[in-house]
Amino acid sequence: MFSRRQFLTHSLRGSSLVALGAVVPEFVAQTARAAAPGKDTILVVVEMTGGNDGINTVIPYADDLYHKARPTLRQTKQQVVVLNDNVGLHSGMQALKPMWEAGNLSVIQGVGYPNPDRSHFEAMDIWHAADPTRKSKTGWLGRASGSMKNRDGGVPILHVGPGKAPLAAAGAEGSGAVSVGEQNAFKLELGNGDRKDARRKLLEEVSAPAKTAGSGEDNPLSFVQRRQVQTLTAVENLRELLEGPNAIRGFGGGLQQKFQLIAGLIARGFGTRIFYVSLEGFDTHAEQGPTHQQLLTQLATGISEFFRELKDTGNDDRVRVMTFSEFGRRVNENGSRGTDHGAASCMLLAGTGMKGKVVGKHPSLSDLDTDNDLKYHTDFRRVYATLLDNWLECDSKSVLGAKWDHIKDLAVR
Amino acid sequence: MAVPPPLDKLDPTEVWKPWKPSAAEPWDRKWAAHLYRRAAFGASSAELSLAVKNGYTETLDLLLKGQPKAAEMVSTLNDVGRVAATRDADGTQLRGWWLYCMLQGGHPLREKMSLFWHNHFATSIVKVRDPDLMFRQNVLFREHALGTFGPLLQAATRDGAMLLWLDSNSNVKGKANENYARELMELFSLGVGNYAEKDVREAARAFTGWHTDGIGFRFNEAQHDDGDKTVLGKTGAWKGDDVVKIALEQPACARFLVRKLYSFFVSEIDPPAALLEPLCASFRKSEYDVASLVKTMLASRHFYSDHAFRTRIKSPVEFALGAVLATYRRYDESDPHSRPLAHQSLIRWLTGMGQTLFAPPNVKGWPGGRTWLNTATVLERNNFAAALVSGVVWLPPAEQQAFVVSSDLPPPKALDPARVLEEQKATKPEDVVSALLDQYAPGGVRVEAREKLVAFVADERPTGLLLARRAREAAHAILTMPECQLA
Repeated sequence: MFSRRQFLTHSLRGSSLVALGAVVPEFVAQTARAAAPGKDTILVVVEMTGGNDGINTVIPYADDLYHKARPTLRQTKQQVVVLNDNVGLHSGMQALKPMWEAGNLSVIQGVGYPNPDRSHFEAMDIWHAADPTRKSKTGWLGRASGSMKNRDGGVPILHVGPGKAPLAAAGAEGSGAVSVGEQNAFKLELGNGDRKDARRKLLEEVSAPAKTAGSGEDNPLSFVQRRQVQTLTAVENLRELLEGPNAIRGFGGGLQQKFQLIAGLIARGFGTRIFYVSLEGFDTHAEQGPTHQQLLTQLATGISEFFRELKDTGNDDRVRVMTFSEFGRRVNENGSRGTDHGAASCMLLAGTGMKGKVVGKHPSLSDLDTDNDLKYHTDFRRVYATLLDNWLECDSKSVLGAKWDHIKDLAVR
Repeated sequence: MAVPPPLDKLDPTEVWKPWKPSAAEPWDRKWAAHLYRRAAFGASSAELSLAVKNGYTETLDLLLKGQPKAAEMVSTLNDVGRVAATRDADGTQLRGWWLYCMLQGGHPLREKMSLFWHNHFATSIVKVRDPDLMFRQNVLFREHALGTFGPLLQAATRDGAMLLWLDSNSNVKGKANENYARELMELFSLGVGNYAEKDVREAARAFTGWHTDGIGFRFNEAQHDDGDKTVLGKTGAWKGDDVVKIALEQPACARFLVRKLYSFFVSEIDPPAALLEPLCASFRKSEYDVASLVKTMLASRHFYSDHAFRTRIKSPVEFALGAVLATYRRYDESDPHSRPLAHQSLIRWLTGMGQTLFAPPNVKGWPGGRTWLNTATVLERNNFAAALVSGVVWLPPAEQQAFVVSSDLPPPKALDPARVLEEQKATKPEDVVSALLDQYAPGGVRVEAREKLVAFVADERPTGLLLARRAREAAHAILTMPECQLA
């Protein structure tokens, strides 16, 4: 855990917030109070874009049918990260082995919804909106952010990646979902030219709490003052992470860089409770082997490195990472050593101190649905509901429009 | 100023008596601006000067009644709105139109109350998906803005957008959908704790067959359950209108609305029930005369006290329109400096700050107060202020510009915060800051912040165009100050 002193040094180094002369001591203290890492829980959602091959992610290595269905893509017990007598993680996910052994990883099998859609676009909307009828124009995370407590008052949802925020984040209150990619949208506008620093300094000064202000003061003026200082600090923090001397390199590219940025923001008390990242390229119709291997390695390394960084700053036990994809893939591989669009699939949930396990049985490879795809047994909205109620502590019924049973075996804490 | 006694020590009958300006507490720019922030969306510097000159009574009267021709203007405004609603499917034109009504419709209090009812009967175009229905509902709110609550509640209960919004068509005999019945009690009239679950179930039966044909109300007799229902202790073969009447008879109804209006007009610091009791009693007695309740609040001693001054966080609409009104000068149309306001330019900023008109987050409306401010929305307020003082707010989006307009060019005079330097002949840093504060933060700011502003303007002694530019930069900083986030 960072000590307060370490935190201050860390978060304010290089920021013009330290250059405030006489105002510094109380001002910095107040800033630290405003921005000190809170105890709010955090959810990081990882979208595996393109339709991840669930069968080759959580692999039923002990099932002969699997080896028959996947003559070139199959992995053996010796290759996989064995989870139990039936299933194991793809060999690309070795990095998750320590997390699994420490009980910090759960896999949820057989996840889906009725009448699954096999179009990327439509299926993705369904997962984002948590609405198989696709009527909803808002996302489950966006709706959740409105009913969540956000003690730190940070950006409700931060989407890390290029492009605009995902549908999942739509409907968030306030600026709701902010996207930071190569084009950082979370910037303070200070005009052109050489006046930027002077203007930034003025903004900080005119909202700086008085030297004598008591910390317990909670009138509207001090509240607003705190929010303004916190905002300027957050902008600085992000700017430093993106542009500073130790800027995260290659940001906007790899998943690991995105995770690094998120870990940095969490350590600096950015105050955001929902982060959203995507890993693209899972639409593996041909020559799936190497691509899938590489993607799953990125994912596994990203998650394990992320938690290592979080642990260093004492934040690992308040963060959960959830993965999903718009659909799984067909049971039998195709003639191009790839797989085509399928239905039910698996999800991962990672986090420190949650008694991880394999949740639910792997769907049968012989008892298939009418399209010859895996049958789901766990509606994805049950996963959402479990996380919403038990982790983000907001009422899942109001977010999902109906009460979904929690998944008993999925311990999120 | 002396610290006022705490809210629970105040005498509830004394505080609501009419305020009279005195030598110690005169009618000045501070209180005029306070009144304009609450009863309107802010004011220009010229309006405030006029308000001080005309005196308190006349100003209050003007705000309560609107400009002399305000009532006649309504039909024209509505004609424009009706057309705006047909121009697109997402309601952008409609939003621009409503902002126009707020800024230039001649009766800001009426628009402010319409906004209150929009938030009270929060209905969203995201589900209704028809700008025309949203427009009709808006007309309803405007018509009843300062009327009596009973007819408004009855009308809202038969409003097309509302019926769609709360799934009325799925409320059928034998299979009641409780959506409207529940919100009627919980959010529209009584508040949680003032009815039982059984009342909701029974009321839902009374609303069976309470359908819409996609435009307005249509009673579907075949789907109406005409059996007896017991709602809030009264038994009969109730229909929807009867349930509304029964809700209006509850003492909780006045308490619920008075508290909500208090928070909207007076203060977001929760008052003890006893403080509001006299207002509840007279509101009930007047059969829910909203205008008279609002007048009592805005004319009270309590309103002109530290208990009310800057005790509300401005909504995005209040923040943005307040800043625009303080900046804009409406020149005569024949004047070469005359510039119309491009109301639609404000919409994307309002969305960024968390308030998309006609699209509240859910049926509870915008939660408001402190929830308006998080790091994303505060940053948006900062950046809006920067764009406003440089005039960039009013430029068309980059992709629509025929040629690149440099943001270094000063904005047109009608939209230029630095216009005040010329108008007040201010050249000394102290005078420049005074003029800007007078414009953007009437009522004053913290001394230490003021000193920083003066030092900023004085740095390297700019003159002429450079001074004007410096003044714009200072105006930006002022608009980001905590004082400017408070109404």
